[in-house]
Amino acid sequence: MSNPIETAVEVVNLGKKYGPVNALNSVSFSIESGQYYTLLGPSGGGKTTLLRLIGGFIRPTAGQIFLHGQDVSHLPPNKRPTSMVFQSYALFPHMNVEKNVAYGLKLRKMPRAEIFDKVNWILSLVGLEGYNERKPHELSGGQQQRVQLARSLVLDVDILLLDEPLAALDAKLRKDMCIELKRIQEKVGITFIHVTHNQEEALTVADRIAIIADGDLVEQGTARDIYETPQTRFTAGFIGDNNLLDGKVSDTNEKYLTVDLGYTKVNVPALSSRLTLGQGVSFSIRSELLSLIESDDFNEDGWQVIPATLLETIYLGLTTSYLVRLADSSEVVVRKISSGEKHSKIESGQNIKVGWQTDHARLHIN
Amino acid sequence: MYDNFANPWTIRLKWLYLLGVVFALMCPVFYTIYISFNEHGFGARIYDFTFDWYRIVLGDKLLVVSIKWTLYLAISAVATTIPMALLSAKFYKRSRHKVAFVALMMSPLFVPADIMGSSLLVFFKNLSGFFTFLSEVLGIGWLEGWFDLGFLTALIGQIIYTHPYAFVVILITMSRYRTQQTEAARACGASAWQAFWQVEFPQIRVGVFSSCAFVTILSFNEAVRTGLLKGGFDTFSNVLVAQMLNIGMSGESYAMAGIMSIVSMIVIGSVLIYTFLRAEHIQRKARAMAEPVMSE
Repeated sequence: MSNPIETAVEVVNLGKKYGPVNALNSVSFSIESGQYYTLLGPSGGGKTTLLRLIGGFIRPTAGQIFLHGQDVSHLPPNKRPTSMVFQSYALFPHMNVEKNVAYGLKLRKMPRAEIFDKVNWILSLVGLEGYNERKPHELSGGQQQRVQLARSLVLDVDILLLDEPLAALDAKLRKDMCIELKRIQEKVGITFIHVTHNQEEALTVADRIAIIADGDLVEQGTARDIYETPQTRFTAGFIGDNNLLDGKVSDTNEKYLTVDLGYTKVNVPALSSRLTLGQGVSFSIRSELLSLIESDDFNEDGWQVIPATLLETIYLGLTTSYLVRLADSSEVVVRKISSGEKHSKIESGQNIKVGWQTDHARLHIN
Repeated sequence: MYDNFANPWTIRLKWLYLLGVVFALMCPVFYTIYISFNEHGFGARIYDFTFDWYRIVLGDKLLVVSIKWTLYLAISAVATTIPMALLSAKFYKRSRHKVAFVALMMSPLFVPADIMGSSLLVFFKNLSGFFTFLSEVLGIGWLEGWFDLGFLTALIGQIIYTHPYAFVVILITMSRYRTQQTEAARACGASAWQAFWQVEFPQIRVGVFSSCAFVTILSFNEAVRTGLLKGGFDTFSNVLVAQMLNIGMSGESYAMAGIMSIVSMIVIGSVLIYTFLRAEHIQRKARAMAEPVMSE
């Protein structure tokens, strides 16, 4: 087991079955104290199940959960050093903001004066000073989530669990709340475990991200690692705007693999693991790292170029996306900052080339 | 949802029909109460308002005792049925086999009152005999007499009768409650009981109190099962029925029927008025908080 002082959460071979269905398959990972850790993945992948197991709302079928070194697998939620912010507003509608926030402190039989001070301090932390007397139905969506956050933070727990806390907010508010959450987490310094299916949200707040899909921990790493250097094909397909291409190994050397796409061959940076000739592989390139090449005699070192046909140009304000069909009828997206006239002369149906710097591709073994 | 293109007379006719149905249902009750205040009773050409019949009824010691037994039964039925119905409703929410569970809970409703009463009578007779046998075999004296016809057997009959109603009313109220609030309370450090009492119960309180009122009225008016299972004491409804069968509808009978009807209407009316006033208060607050409509 890791150092319990530095490790806030350790999950060992954790599994959950509902009848014949495996909601979670033997997941193991650890989270450092004070980290903002995000569980990211598609809906139904097991993220919320994992979070609720850590919170004690459901019992694991297999495995153990350690919080600060203590096995809490058998403990109910009120006995664990955790608190939770829920997706749908779980404020108590018959209590005003002050009573909602003070609820946990009253359970601990704290003196009234102390409760009052703590509640006011935490409300100012979340930007809701003066809202004490309001009822939940008198608050906006963002304000309700802040009250939930205040109610959890006021308990001075070490680990805060957030189950898609921003899912019900509009896009603008979600962005603002992301930054707010990060600010609060840095200020209070406790461990946050945040479940979301929104990539932008995860990349904004997280120190580390774990990709959960089909009950498995697919990959974990920093936001930059996950985005720029995804290890698995799934992560590459899920995060960012990656283009995935499939082929077979036709040649290898120390640094590069030659991948036969069927209509052309390209070089891709090799992985440390050995691959055999003819083995099926995939590689990904982020859409912003692809370029459209109009010139027929483009021949720069360190670039891979493949033939394509422009299908559609989509202007999205800050960026412009170019939907391109490759020779094997698969489609890729090239994304560029909208910069006036650069590619506006290329027409749909026109034959062009798509290129990228060799080192920008990431290999994934099938 | 209002249809702006609908004929307003359609809405008026619907309300007229509704009021007509209520009037048809309540007419016999109000007529009975009307007669109960007539000095000359039913069928008399002259009507002289009087409380005399009520004074006679409430001055009759036997009748007062029967009212007391009825109240004891009603209070005991509420005290036992409501917690049972609450637990049933909570179990229903967690159950995977909801249809089967509801069918089980509602099954007593499908058995006619006299069949249920006579079945329970036979059941309690046998059970009482078994406990008497046990008492003789084990030499434990206090086992004898269990399930002899009396207050306990009458109460069990009323619980079986009223439980489905209480279950449905509480379930309807519970359906609006979000279980995430219980989880949020647990996450704040509340035990299961604290989460229920401090967070869930305040929100389902109206349904629980409505169920209490419902069970009280059902218990107050229940005659068939209670008549078969009560043993040696009399309830108000049993006395009324016995009087009607033996003597016919006397002035006292009308007064007794009037008492039961008035008590029932007061209880139901109070619940309805409180619910209506509370809803109005909440709506008024919501309107005050709502954004003003701006014309373009």
